[in-house]
Amino acid sequence: MPGGYVGKILRVDLSSGKTSSEDLNLKWARLFIGGKGLGAKYLYEEAKPRADPLSPDNVLILMTGPLTGTTAPCAPKYAIYTKSPLTGTFLDSYMGGYLGAELKFAGFDGVIIKGKAEKPVYLWISDGKAEIRDAKDLWGLDIHETDKRIREKLGDKEVKVAAIGPAGENLVKIACITVDLYRQAGRGGGGAVMGSKNLKAIAVRGHQGVSVPNIEEFIELCKDITKNDVVTETNLWAKTDGTPGFLQMNQEGGVLPTKNFQMGVFEHANEIDGDAVKKILVRKRACYGCPLGCGNITQVKGGPFAGTVIEGPDYETLALGGSNCYISDLEAIAKYNLLCDKLGLDTISTGDAIAFAMECYEKGLITKEDTNGLELTFGNVEAYVKMPNLIAYRKAIGDVLAEGVRRAAEKIGKGSDRFAVHVKGLEYPGYEPRGAIGMALAYATSDRGACHMRAWPVDSEVFGDMDPFTTEGKAQLVIEGGIGQNLYCAKWSLVICDFYAIGYENIARLASAATGWKLSEDDMKIIGERISNLVRMFNVREGFTRKDDTLPYRIANDPLKGGKADGHVVKPEDFNKMLDEYYKLRGWDKEGRPTKEKLKELNLI
Amino acid sequence: MKLEIFPEKCTECWLCAAICSARLVGKFNPSRSAVYAESLLPEKLIMRPYVCIQCDEHPCVESCPVEAIAEDEKLGIYVVDKELCDGCGACIEACPYNGLRLDPVENYAIKCDVCRGKPRCVEICPEEVLKMVE
Repeated sequence: MPGGYVGKILRVDLSSGKTSSEDLNLKWARLFIGGKGLGAKYLYEEAKPRADPLSPDNVLILMTGPLTGTTAPCAPKYAIYTKSPLTGTFLDSYMGGYLGAELKFAGFDGVIIKGKAEKPVYLWISDGKAEIRDAKDLWGLDIHETDKRIREKLGDKEVKVAAIGPAGENLVKIACITVDLYRQAGRGGGGAVMGSKNLKAIAVRGHQGVSVPNIEEFIELCKDITKNDVVTETNLWAKTDGTPGFLQMNQEGGVLPTKNFQMGVFEHANEIDGDAVKKILVRKRACYGCPLGCGNITQVKGGPFAGTVIEGPDYETLALGGSNCYISDLEAIAKYNLLCDKLGLDTISTGDAIAFAMECYEKGLITKEDTNGLELTFGNVEAYVKMPNLIAYRKAIGDVLAEGVRRAAEKIGKGSDRFAVHVKGLEYPGYEPRGAIGMALAYATSDRGACHMRAWPVDSEVFGDMDPFTTEGKAQLVIEGGIGQNLYCAKWSLVICDFYAIGYENIARLASAATGWKLSEDDMKIIGERISNLVRMFNVREGFTRKDDTLPYRIANDPLKGGKADGHVVKPEDFNKMLDEYYKLRGWDKEGRPTKEKLKELNLI
Repeated sequence: MKLEIFPEKCTECWLCAAICSARLVGKFNPSRSAVYAESLLPEKLIMRPYVCIQCDEHPCVESCPVEAIAEDEKLGIYVVDKELCDGCGACIEACPYNGLRLDPVENYAIKCDVCRGKPRCVEICPEEVLKMVE
């Protein structure tokens, strides 16, 4: 057996109540490594095509990688792999914290969950065993309370818990899964998938450990990479500031989503930026095995939100829950963050949904009758902090927003789809493409809808030397750039955190040292491309083609206001030019379907 | 020769425990390490890292009914003889610093021996939570 893996996959059938363990498919492991690759492979093979994502037919997979649980720097991550109820696409959503490592210590590389439990249950995994337990008394509780009660029930404070809150239970399509209190599989509605299966939580504890072929050599490699490639100028922002540092950078670059993507700068940016967050900082928190420790444990000490303690707010929460809602009160954003964490809501999509509703309200498309009497204007803190509850419990306008902005716009009508900013139903995150045109392509071609963590051309366009307004070279950048889709796929097969800007060379060194396989840089490049194509195959099988790789109306038609990109739009002809080039470089046809030749070349058929 | 702890710097990364377990059991397994940490979030915000601090009083030694904890004269510190220890947990109860814990697999008391002079946890800790004192 190769090292790094623990060699077992746990199968859970919630309909029959049975669990079983089987050997990890090593042939697939060699082709796809782990994480995103293996998760996508198991999902592709086991999912019933065109299944309703909220039906028992949907499959929910947890997958780690060969580095999970070791001393490899910044490799704490693991993810859920499923079909998204928000987008209908492939969904992978990554979590930090400690549960991924714990799952390996408990003897499993991954978990495949199918079916639907008759009544609320939670899954208890420990040392090679799994039990489906009654969760009647946990149903309805918020995530922090659920986490606490499960650890009390099991009598072990070190049990790691991933849980859903009321939002997931109520099948809110922007519901997240929260793990280790403050870390989320945020995007795409994974929480609703758990809710639809009556699965309240997954609890894990293990004492079995992870082996690698030569542990001393492995440790020396980790130390070398940590010193020379991790704790370096490139990545130190994570340690010193964490993600809030991006707020001021994006403000300067004119790409900070503001007022539901009407503007690219926020006049109160300095009230919610990295320096502002430092004023409420208590300490840093790292995920398992991370020498950077980007997490900010913060505490609100006075005012109406006194007592709020969170890990955050991170940049995306500050942008979509802050500037995009025109909220300049950092303590209110912290409260919003805590509410979302406990109720189980994605802070990005929820922020966008609130911003969208605020614009609807100001335009008179919805009224106080819809908002439970709330004066839902941009920047109104009082109304803003009440919104997560309305959405999680599907009350009033919250019931509409719980479906995400695409469906909310369909329901509200009256032209509101023109300012519902999403791709494939996934709300835009915190980088405005009118000031970084490559991001429009990155969002359009991302496997799970508008996501900033599938390619990040903004790094070259706003923080680097590339012209942010030209289409030139952008397709190449999105596919094969230093922070492009293929590299991300390789990186997330291991699963290494986004915030360590690792290149193929060290990806290959770590993967080889953990598994014992001789993997070269070129091997990892091919694996990255293979995974990119596999997830596209999944989406094509679900009916997604070029028609779905879209540019939102607002980005194409409404000139951005303020900042460096003032007056800019992303012209559809520019967008289509990039998309044509993208498909061509990918070896896909004009409809965005991988060609047989390409799939053969990548050993996918 | 002992370790000193500066808890306010601890970020909860568990690298100390992972590297400690690599030496003790040849695997990455933080539940089987001499150094560990406790998170009391969300009630308490500061982490509590624990390891034997080689205190002068060493109540663990007196508490042991089978005399499994004795001074290693070469190192000048008290160490557990894994063969003698029967895992009764008396030393763990006796230690006011939470400095020992039971190995969950082999059921013996794990006590830090400062890696016999070159503590790995000190070297790997990214935040200097642990320091070696001669």
